[in-house]
Amino acid sequence: MHKLSTKKAFVAYFLFGWLLLIVADRVDELRVYQGATIAVTTLAIASIILLTGYSGQVSLGQGAFLAVGAYAAALSQTFWQSPFWFTLLIAILVSAAFGFILAFAAGRMSGPYLAGTTLALAVGLPTLANQFSFLGGETGLVYDAGLPPERFGEEFTLYKWFFWIAAFVVLIAMFLLRNLLNSRFGRTWKALRANSTAASLCGVNVAQSKITAFTISAGVAGLAGALLGMVSIVAPSAFPLSLSFTIITGAILAGVTSLLGSMLGAVILVVIPEIADVIAHQLGDSEKITTNLPGFIVSVLLILTVLFSPNGPAEAMRKRKEQHAKH
Amino acid sequence: MISLRRKKSILAAVAVTSFALVASAVPANAEVGVSSTEIKLGTTVPMTGIAAPGYSKVAPAMKAYFEYINDNGGVYGRKINLVIKDDRYIPQEAINKTNELILKDKVFALVGQLGTANHLAVTSKVRIASRNIPSLFLNTGYSGFADVKKFRTSFMHFPTYVAEAKILSSYIKENFTGKKTCLLVQNDEFGADAEKGFATAGLTFDETVKYVSGTQSATTAQTWITRFAGAKCEVVVLFSVSSATAAALGVASAAGYKPQWILGSVGADSTTLKIALNNPQAQALLNGAIGVSFMPDALDTTDEYVKLFREVNTKYSPGVDFDTNVLVGMNAAMLTVQALRAAGQNPTRRSLITAMERKGSTFASAAYGNLAVSRTSRAGFTGYWFGKFNLAGALIPLDAGRTVYTTDSATGPVTKASAKRAALPAKGIPTNS
Repeated sequence: MHKLSTKKAFVAYFLFGWLLLIVADRVDELRVYQGATIAVTTLAIASIILLTGYSGQVSLGQGAFLAVGAYAAALSQTFWQSPFWFTLLIAILVSAAFGFILAFAAGRMSGPYLAGTTLALAVGLPTLANQFSFLGGETGLVYDAGLPPERFGEEFTLYKWFFWIAAFVVLIAMFLLRNLLNSRFGRTWKALRANSTAASLCGVNVAQSKITAFTISAGVAGLAGALLGMVSIVAPSAFPLSLSFTIITGAILAGVTSLLGSMLGAVILVVIPEIADVIAHQLGDSEKITTNLPGFIVSVLLILTVLFSPNGPAEAMRKRKEQHAKH
Repeated sequence: MISLRRKKSILAAVAVTSFALVASAVPANAEVGVSSTEIKLGTTVPMTGIAAPGYSKVAPAMKAYFEYINDNGGVYGRKINLVIKDDRYIPQEAINKTNELILKDKVFALVGQLGTANHLAVTSKVRIASRNIPSLFLNTGYSGFADVKKFRTSFMHFPTYVAEAKILSSYIKENFTGKKTCLLVQNDEFGADAEKGFATAGLTFDETVKYVSGTQSATTAQTWITRFAGAKCEVVVLFSVSSATAAALGVASAAGYKPQWILGSVGADSTTLKIALNNPQAQALLNGAIGVSFMPDALDTTDEYVKLFREVNTKYSPGVDFDTNVLVGMNAAMLTVQALRAAGQNPTRRSLITAMERKGSTFASAAYGNLAVSRTSRAGFTGYWFGKFNLAGALIPLDAGRTVYTTDSATGPVTKASAKRAALPAKGIPTNS
């Protein structure tokens, strides 16, 4: 399939970013807030796509890496008064280091064992905040991107500022990830995923490649976690087990092998509560329905995707296109 | 021919642009949430989840009272529409739902939210103060919310936990000196505030058990009771939410452990106890426990406020048991109506905040004493009376005069005074301005 050159891809990302800024100026604050959430979720899903879609490793506890990134960023801001942009770097480095240690320890595991280990991490890690007072307990830590610059004017809202930051960071991260996945690393991981024995026979260092993928994926997730902490809070309730499942669901809905599909997955996850709200309204505004319906819809979509399009709609589209071309 | 990748890019651009255009139709309004016929208010409370038993009744009780007011002319002709969102007692959910209330439902003000951690999360992330969004009659006693500099637009309903702990301390020191005294508190600002009050009053505990909010259950309560029994505690203060108090009393009863219970006002409710323990006779577990309240007991049908609120509850919430949670909700609603009236015929968020500052301390309510709100404080009520629970789960005053103990959230002394409050407005419908 034809791929854009790096230069053309940069122009495409730049134009898309420009379009987002124009759109953010035209929509109301709710949509801007949702836009920031979509950006953060996109990056979190991208971390899964890198890990599972490319290197073939399964993590059921990606939420734990988001939590590590968010807490690292918040702690560096709280105790060292680090500038916001620097805290994002701290988030990447600390969560990547955490991922590296875990990958090293879990190097001998694969499949359900690795999935189980990461799942246990997602269950246990956020509760640590209640054991150590410097982590802020249930209320969490204050993590702040600061107010928008005054030159943007009074009409420039806080959520628009969050959106700008999130969109800017995520576009850069996605561009770098795209290049990484199109490089030697990406091809190696793909080979691993397809057949690790064959890859090994071709000279690929399987263990090292898996550790590299796990570390980079954790770093990306950590960055997403810091951005999530900026939009919401850095507290155990922001990183429940359901967050890990939501991210995986988004990746599956989008197609685990499609980096661009991560945006589609994020949009679906943010739009579903809106749809649930409309349905709940039709059914009499029961709070119990409003609370549980989004989870139900996501579950149904997940089952349908696995049944009819296990590699996601983007992959299905690509295959159809290829078949069409053959005829 | 257009490549698949390019096609996808075009599709994405079209989708984003369409999304933007559909979303950009925002109606202009003089004041958000106020129309010629309606004032829209919002609240987030635990309607489901671990803290729902009991607390899920607060917001519907507010709604019931607002419907009563709406049927009697509303506030200067405008009906009050209360939008209720379920935050499941989770700070992250409180942020999400508050954002929905402000950005999507476009409410005029927030009212009657529950939970210290939740409101701390909301104030820090939704930034209601810098956006000038009023948050009236918080159903939490965290003393920090009284700070006008940090929480300019938030106004408390409950007395502070520091004051409550100081008042409880004075009673314990007066009546149980020399006995082994122990404490159950929540491991967050709610509990820290209480511990601050006990420490300020100079009361120390032989055993302190802290639980993490959301983990309270019969299983965790086994651990608490084992520790209290092991330490041979003779007096146990349960400064906890209703579901934790219920779990502790249920497990202690099953184990035959019978200390003198002293219950904080937040967690002492007989109806919640029955729901949480799934036992229609569970109110008997409260028998003999000492409790405090800043309002009359919900079972005291001789009280004019309770009588009126019970009538409203019967008519507008048929089938709902009247209890402390309903009383708290309706009291907050009655105060809200007075605040809206005091804000003028065409209320704005600014005029509502000013009205709270200038006239809040004069509002009629079921509580004994006045709100301590002013231009320099966002504090709620300040006084408590002591009572002992009977077999029916009613809190009976320890003295006929119902002495009210009052104090501040700092180092001020605990003072005693006879109970007094403003008379109930005619038919329970405020007419203030």
